[in-house]
Amino acid sequence: MEYVLLALVLIPVLVCPLFMLLPSQYPQLTRYVAALTGGVLFGLSLLVFVVYQFDGGAGLRYELQWDWLENVGFLGENGITFYLGVDGIGAPLVLLNGVVILAAVFVSWNITHRTKDFFVLLFLLVSGVYGVFVSQDLFFFFFWYEVAVLPMYLLIAVWGSSSHFGTFTRTKEYGAMKLTMMLVAGSVLIFIGIFALFVEAGAGTFDMTEIRRVGEEGGIDEDFQKWCFPLFMVGFGVLAGMWPLHTWSPDGHVAAPTGVSMLHAGVLMKLGAFGILRVGIMLLPEGADFWAPVLMTLGVTGALYGAVSALTQTDLKYMVGYSSVSHMGYVLMGLASMNEIGVNGAVLQMFAHGVMTALMFTNVGAVYDQAHIRDMTQFGGLAKQMPRHSAFFTIAGLSSLGLPGLAGFVAEFHIFVGVFKAGYWWAGGLGILAAAITATYILRMLARAYFGPANEKWADLKEMRIGEQFSAALLIAMILFMGLWPMPFIDRISQTVETIPGIN
Amino acid sequence: MGMEQAWLIPAIPAVAFVFLLFAGAYLPRRGDFVAILAIGAAFLLLFPVLIDLLDKAEGTDYTAGVKSWEWVQFGDFEINIGFYVDPITIVMLAVVTLVALLVQVYSVAYMHGEPRYGWYFTVMCLFAASMLTLVLADNLLLMYAAWEGVGFCSFLLIGFYWEKRSAAEAAKKAFITTRIGDVGFLIGIIMLWEKAGTFNIQEIIAFAEGGGYDSTYLTAAVLFLFMGAVGKSGQFPLHVWLPDAMEGPTPVSALIHAATMVVAGVYMVARMLPVFEVADAIALDLVMLAGLITVVISSLMGLAATDIKRVIAYSTLNSLGLMFIALGSGSVTAAMLYLFVHGFFKALLFLGAGSVIHATHKQEIDELGGLARKMPTTAITFGIGTLAMIGIIPLSGFWAKDEVLIFAEEEQNLIVYLIILASLVITGLYMARLFIRMFLFESRDPESYSHAHEGGPLITVPLMILGVLAVIGGFVVLDEVGEALGFAGGFGQFVLEAGHPHEYEFHADTAIISTVLAAGGAALGWFLWQGRAETATRVRETFAPIAALFANRFYIDELYQFLINRVVLTLSAIVSWFDRNVVNDTGVDGSAGLTYFTGFELKFLQTGKIPNYALAISAGIIVLALVMIATQV
Repeated sequence: MEYVLLALVLIPVLVCPLFMLLPSQYPQLTRYVAALTGGVLFGLSLLVFVVYQFDGGAGLRYELQWDWLENVGFLGENGITFYLGVDGIGAPLVLLNGVVILAAVFVSWNITHRTKDFFVLLFLLVSGVYGVFVSQDLFFFFFWYEVAVLPMYLLIAVWGSSSHFGTFTRTKEYGAMKLTMMLVAGSVLIFIGIFALFVEAGAGTFDMTEIRRVGEEGGIDEDFQKWCFPLFMVGFGVLAGMWPLHTWSPDGHVAAPTGVSMLHAGVLMKLGAFGILRVGIMLLPEGADFWAPVLMTLGVTGALYGAVSALTQTDLKYMVGYSSVSHMGYVLMGLASMNEIGVNGAVLQMFAHGVMTALMFTNVGAVYDQAHIRDMTQFGGLAKQMPRHSAFFTIAGLSSLGLPGLAGFVAEFHIFVGVFKAGYWWAGGLGILAAAITATYILRMLARAYFGPANEKWADLKEMRIGEQFSAALLIAMILFMGLWPMPFIDRISQTVETIPGIN
Repeated sequence: MGMEQAWLIPAIPAVAFVFLLFAGAYLPRRGDFVAILAIGAAFLLLFPVLIDLLDKAEGTDYTAGVKSWEWVQFGDFEINIGFYVDPITIVMLAVVTLVALLVQVYSVAYMHGEPRYGWYFTVMCLFAASMLTLVLADNLLLMYAAWEGVGFCSFLLIGFYWEKRSAAEAAKKAFITTRIGDVGFLIGIIMLWEKAGTFNIQEIIAFAEGGGYDSTYLTAAVLFLFMGAVGKSGQFPLHVWLPDAMEGPTPVSALIHAATMVVAGVYMVARMLPVFEVADAIALDLVMLAGLITVVISSLMGLAATDIKRVIAYSTLNSLGLMFIALGSGSVTAAMLYLFVHGFFKALLFLGAGSVIHATHKQEIDELGGLARKMPTTAITFGIGTLAMIGIIPLSGFWAKDEVLIFAEEEQNLIVYLIILASLVITGLYMARLFIRMFLFESRDPESYSHAHEGGPLITVPLMILGVLAVIGGFVVLDEVGEALGFAGGFGQFVLEAGHPHEYEFHADTAIISTVLAAGGAALGWFLWQGRAETATRVRETFAPIAALFANRFYIDELYQFLINRVVLTLSAIVSWFDRNVVNDTGVDGSAGLTYFTGFELKFLQTGKIPNYALAISAGIIVLALVMIATQV
């Protein structure tokens, strides 16, 4: 099984040279290879997720540790190792990545400009995401983290679109540049934090399990934890869309092509939250405990602020973008609750938000590809021409507003309970209020664009492509899976969460 | 078969829903018979469950049946999918399954030829499954899930004619308004869980009665719970969605917005009433107050409404208000009895209205009239519904209202009692108006009148069955009837198996007062609206401002719309502006701009001229030398 993890990380990298060798006059061939790769990745991810349950024992499994650098200079035994392994938090997120990449390939079927390059960058990004989810060595964790972030720049700048919004314009170059700069700025903080932590632990290794062991033995000073945790909280927080460092996200969505938006909101933002959990909370529990009220405040602010901002957006992608900010706010609230229910909820929400936002962007893309606008006020009664598309969008929206039976409810409910249990009743109440506001903007959009009298101008729109329908069906299957039968997810997540120090 | 298998009651419609969703399009008649068979099976299953409950009863003490599965479990946190059967459940199940069955049969004729005929029955199955789950849920979280589920079905069905802008807006309004109440419901559930550590209703009740909650905390928690009921059951101030919900097909109004979903709030409070009673008295006072305000404003708004479905919708609000007054007075029996009979006579009124709309394609009160000659069955059954609604002895509505009045008289002060009595007159007035204007005298729209005719048996038979139930439904309250039906101790003791044994007493004075007032209201209605309704027109013109106030629903909808447009959306626009101009353009772009500016300024140092660099080097050396000297000295 450990080689499955290795395969997940390496297949997307190794497929890149293959893409380059394919003849560019047959873009269809490239797409088939991409679809095949996506299918393999999805299959292997599902395998990891399923098998994890049957291989007993809590914590890290399928470990694979190869030396890379040791006993040189400041590095001691096992200084830097290529160390893979998956735990109960990683397993669902690996599955999430597999689902989203497969869906994104089918949604990106209509990319005609430099098709090969597009898929090279897309899979490079995916490999970085897998790497982060399964790396147990801080050095490689950071390496994969950067690999996941940087292809985004080209994907948006080359294949994106610029938009004019009356009073202001957002070019794709602007979106790409801002996204990259902000994320890299976050990376700087993380980089500083990683080195500080390395020195403080004094074990001469970047092995996270080793650092955690040192920490549990009291080897990491409490004062150190208190000043180091914010580096990770803010550094990873940028990628998690933490208020007020979230503006790269909606603007990035507006500029990005559909498939890239799906990965961006579906998995990339999860890396930030995952980083806070994996590096921040797991390695610096006392620091996390100290800063939890701040993280809670930022989380609930983001949840409300994103929802309120989404209310008056007329551009579909801005609406979904701000809704992502809002939902990632819930993730941060769950993490900040620092109890098992809330942190479970946060991880559930990472998965739930990943699939439902990917579904939302699939749908936004389906209408934008044909109409070339995303202004919901210009539409009306689209359900007539595009009944399936409307149904899919409605399901995504309902999951987003927390309808029981769909993934969003399971996740949000755990978060709210956890937050109340941690004593932040005000944050819990505001979070539930934000869910009601979510209902308002989702239904407002549906009523405006999809229901009501048909707008004759769009009479010739067609149903979404069959590939997009497949992607949507896959994502909906995941939403229903988690919404109706959450125990497979919770089993895995809680096994690991209950072992995290500082989580009660 | 018994109580243990009660979970089958919601499971059958749920399976039918999934089946219809995927296979409905390929079935003959779009699978409408599947929906009817499913709800029919649910109705029939009620009997073994009821018999089992009665068998296991010892005297008037009913042991409840429970069946539960684990849904989520980790650490000491668990959520179950559990089903619980007790007498309150049975009453509600009877209403839901029976009315749903009749409405489904009626829908076959009423919805015939609609473009989304199959979709209608599919959603109706989902509704039945959710509603029955709500009724049977043994824990608050499952109840909440089903509660949202019925709200979602209501959203789909109000928006059934989504091509109409008004229907799309009404659906949205209904969902969002009830959702605002649900914010409180969810907070309340979590608050109750936090101290008790369980979502199970019976355990929470036991915990509360054992004094586990701090009194203030519990009061806050139950008031949050009550918010959910206010939203769902259309109580003031969240009543605005229910009249608009009449945009949906009429059978939907009959089933969801009269007989079943809207009474879910009453049901929930009835279930949780022991907890409300442990909390401070203010909790039940607020329940009563919400009901009272709703009764008053809905009566007055009903007086001025001109759409026949809206008039009936206001009468529903009125009835729901009375149920909450009963609950606020601490009487589950009265509330559940009202709920029980209300399901029949209100569904009857809506289906009767549907029959008229189906025949004439008109639903404005001023475009109807004289239809009794063309549609005698509808007229007679509608008349029975009207009399039951205003509470004329011995129809079902009378017994229920009588129970409410008895409790209100005992528990509340005189002013409350008088207000309720006054509302009876107004109810009689506007219900009489509705009947007179629809069925009597001359038609005001000869064209639609000329081709109006009675519907087929699929329409008239459900009307007749409901008509019979509306006549006899109230008799269950008589202890002798209850015992004859197998409930030891009659309905009063059946519903409240523990705590407050209640034997029915006939209060002749209350009965006389209420009947006289209701009949007086109806007689006044006759006086005002007979013939060409000249008297009524004159009265309306005399009190034009007041009539306008009623017709405009006290401007409450306008006020909310104003608040949404001017406050909420403005706030949102400000936040969006802030996000773009302050957070992004100043904070983010500003720091980028500062970097650029610094770089731009610094680049002038790079002149490319050797003398400049030499000068800088020399200056640097001198400064360093001076520093060195200064530190050495």
